Amino acid sequence: MLLVVTYSRRARETLRNACRSHEETVVRQFGRAALLRETEYGAFLTCRLRERHAEDVQIERTAPFNEFADAPDAVREAAVAYERRDSPYTPYDRFAAGTDHPDAAEMRGREL
Amino acid sequence: MTGTWTLRLPDGTEFAGPVVDVRDLATDSAPGAIRRAIRGGCPTRPDRPTVHAPLPTCVHSHVGHLEPDVSIDRRTALAAVGVARGIDTPHDAELDRVQRSLRDLSVPTIDDAELRAARRRAAEAGSETERLRERVATLRGRVAARRDDGDSDGDGDDDAVAEAEASLSEATRQLSEASTERVAATQRLDTLEVRARRARDAREDRFRLEDRVENLRRARRAALADAVEPDVQDARARLESMIGDRVAGPGGNDLHDALAVAAIAPLRAPIVADPDVVAALGGPDAAFEWFGTPLVIG
Repeated sequence: MLLVVTYSRRARETLRNACRSHEETVVRQFGRAALLRETEYGAFLTCRLRERHAEDVQIERTAPFNEFADAPDAVREAAVAYERRDSPYTPYDRFAAGTDHPDAAEMRGREL
Repeated sequence: MTGTWTLRLPDGTEFAGPVVDVRDLATDSAPGAIRRAIRGGCPTRPDRPTVHAPLPTCVHSHVGHLEPDVSIDRRTALAAVGVARGIDTPHDAELDRVQRSLRDLSVPTIDDAELRAARRRAAEAGSETERLRERVATLRGRVAARRDDGDSDGDGDDDAVAEAEASLSEATRQLSEASTERVAATQRLDTLEVRARRARDAREDRFRLEDRVENLRRARRAALADAVEPDVQDARARLESMIGDRVAGPGGNDLHDALAVAAIAPLRAPIVADPDVVAALGGPDAAFEWFGTPLVIG
């Protein structure tokens, strides 16, 4: 999908108007951001927004996240184990200490 | 309420206020043109009326031209009265502070043209690489086929093989160049994207401040309107006890509000009133009394 985020009042107004007039192309709208369908018309709308508001709009092309392909096994397994922990009040760092699960700070520093 | 002002028409005719009646004049001095001259001040073009009078307050744009079918954005007009009266609201200090932060905020510029050029270059380098990759695959197939042909006929067409090999090696060289360019273009684009993302943090701050300013302005307008609301209601009650429903019409309600606002607002400059409105108020003198400001009847 095409993710459009606006960074000025005028750009937000244009995005809102575009979403109102082209509902068929809008997947979701959240205030100053929207997800547009990945159709040529979605591209047409995003190109217009970029043309009018230049860098006051950020446009990203999104892809579904596949945790089996996009995340290292250790990261995925740590997440699953942490969500299944016995005590809901254990912070992750304490949970991970002394196990093979990766350290939160390390994970923050590593790009996917 | 000194009321001294002058109106000079393009043909040289001059009028002096407080009350000027232009009902019988030619259309090029229509009330609209006079109202524009009151707002615009001097100098004006020679073919337009000229007005010598103090410049109007911000309320003037709401009630500067009173016709039976006038329409008025009541709350905005009331807020304007509050501004013209210099009323303070609890939001003023915060609004000042946020506006100052907004002015002081420096938002790094993102060179849009540069970023666009980098996107285009990366896209072109990408498609050129793809094109050459396909060409190399095709030529590789052709070389293999020529070699097979040579082997199967037994006599071996060395020239055909050599020619195919030369094309392949040229295409391979081009592909290598294109790949290098693609890497360079992608890196350049990545660098610029990262810079643009950082610059967006400041835009984010600016955006929040702008929203805050707008919310505070709205709150301030509401407070100003609330502050003058009782006076406007009083004026409207006085008006209605004075004129009853003499000024009926589709905009009757708006007109009563506009007349009430005009009566209590500091206007400073002359206003334009339709003859029917002036008549409803009881004639020019009564109208002048009501508005407390000089008047053009037209």
